[in-house]
Amino acid sequence: MTPEELQAAISVANTINLEVYYYWATAIMVLIHAGFLMYEMGASRVRHTLASGTKNILAFAFMIPTFYMFGWWIYLAMTSGFSPDFEAGAAGVPWSEWMGPNIQDNASGVFVGAFTLFACTTASIMSGAVIERIRMAAFVILAVVLGSVVWNLSASWGWHYAGWMVTSWGYHDFGASGVVHMISGFFALGVLINLGPRIGKYNSDGSANVLRGHSLPMTATGLMLIVVGFFGFLGACVIFPGTGVSFHPELWTNIYGQPTTLSAICFNTLMAIAGGIIGCYTMTRDPFWMMSGALCGVISAAAGLDLWYPGLAFVVAFAGGILGPWAAGILERMGIDDAVGAVSVHGICGIWGLLAVGIFMGGYPPISDTIPAITFMGQFKGMIVMLLLGFIPGYVLSLIFKMLGILRASDGVQMAGMDVEVTNVAYPEDIKS
Amino acid sequence: MINSSPITTWEGAGAIYTFAGSGAGFWFFVMCVLCIVPLWVSLRAENKAEREHR
Repeated sequence: MTPEELQAAISVANTINLEVYYYWATAIMVLIHAGFLMYEMGASRVRHTLASGTKNILAFAFMIPTFYMFGWWIYLAMTSGFSPDFEAGAAGVPWSEWMGPNIQDNASGVFVGAFTLFACTTASIMSGAVIERIRMAAFVILAVVLGSVVWNLSASWGWHYAGWMVTSWGYHDFGASGVVHMISGFFALGVLINLGPRIGKYNSDGSANVLRGHSLPMTATGLMLIVVGFFGFLGACVIFPGTGVSFHPELWTNIYGQPTTLSAICFNTLMAIAGGIIGCYTMTRDPFWMMSGALCGVISAAAGLDLWYPGLAFVVAFAGGILGPWAAGILERMGIDDAVGAVSVHGICGIWGLLAVGIFMGGYPPISDTIPAITFMGQFKGMIVMLLLGFIPGYVLSLIFKMLGILRASDGVQMAGMDVEVTNVAYPEDIKS
Repeated sequence: MINSSPITTWEGAGAIYTFAGSGAGFWFFVMCVLCIVPLWVSLRAENKAEREHR
């Protein structure tokens, strides 16, 4: 074999390895949706079970074509703000040669696949918060706007090596504490304000009742599946080394081009899961919150997952595990009926995740002279942008739907159970709620 | 903002985690303490349940 042939063989192997890596990371991410499906159905009362499941499945399904239609283009084209770069976005228009089977392109399909699953995750986070009273069509439109428009915009700004938040502020958000979790958490908050609480959630004196889902074991198992899926999610946040689409020929990098390793992600993901669970156990001793605590932990540590000392990742995640249920209690007292704690777990822990990077990660050198280093103010300003970018569209769109009378199911349908709107029964033996 | 970076350049970098230069031991200690706290919480809850259901 000549040196040229050897080089060509190495290049082919590298390309195939990259393709295989993201293909299977995408497949593992689907487990997040298996988990969300179980989680939301278990958190629903019996008479709402299938409607919650249907809603969740539709969010997943609608994200795929809509991400293809305009989601990928938004990510590629909107790095400078609201002004599109049509040249950069050309590869993402649905009729481009890269947006379908192409023997010369092993990367686009698996990257679009991974980003589509990120979009599905973003939309599904909102899904759990609004169960048992949101109408299906309104929900699907909200999910599409969240997953295929808003998330892509946030990612283009803060999760792209050329994003303006990265190049202007040194914004660092490795595992998407802000660009996925804050966006979806605060979008959900905007929707919840207009949607209102479930019937029976609040008493006339303003005190809140606990509306227990019909299967905590299903919910807890679903949450564990989400945790499994997060290994795919966070694994897909690193860029495979090599030539072509990679930042570095020999090293894994984060999405900003800074070197990292899968080992780094493994160390800190495990520590974050454990810290969040133990923190939530300490705070609540409630299995629901313990498993939600795993998410609190991962989301709290996600922004700096490539750089934490594992012991510090545990501490940050533990704090997130305390913060999540505490914030959920405050929101409940404010009259926000978030059925699964999505706003606190994703939104509030997302804030903590971004700020923790700002507090603890001083001194890291930027990857180039054109990008600022990580600073507290850069993270703080990024947090404000994510909060507003998530909240405003969710609030405005749901307000329009509310005025049109298509946001909330009638009291009669809620009392009968949202399952009257689907054509099957969850438990044929007629288990009572 | 706490300066925790053990590196000044990415060229030839090795251990890049926060406080790798110094201070990681403190966070290891805090982690150990945080692993003990929930055991204490658990014991308290169990003892209460034992008293109430004796």
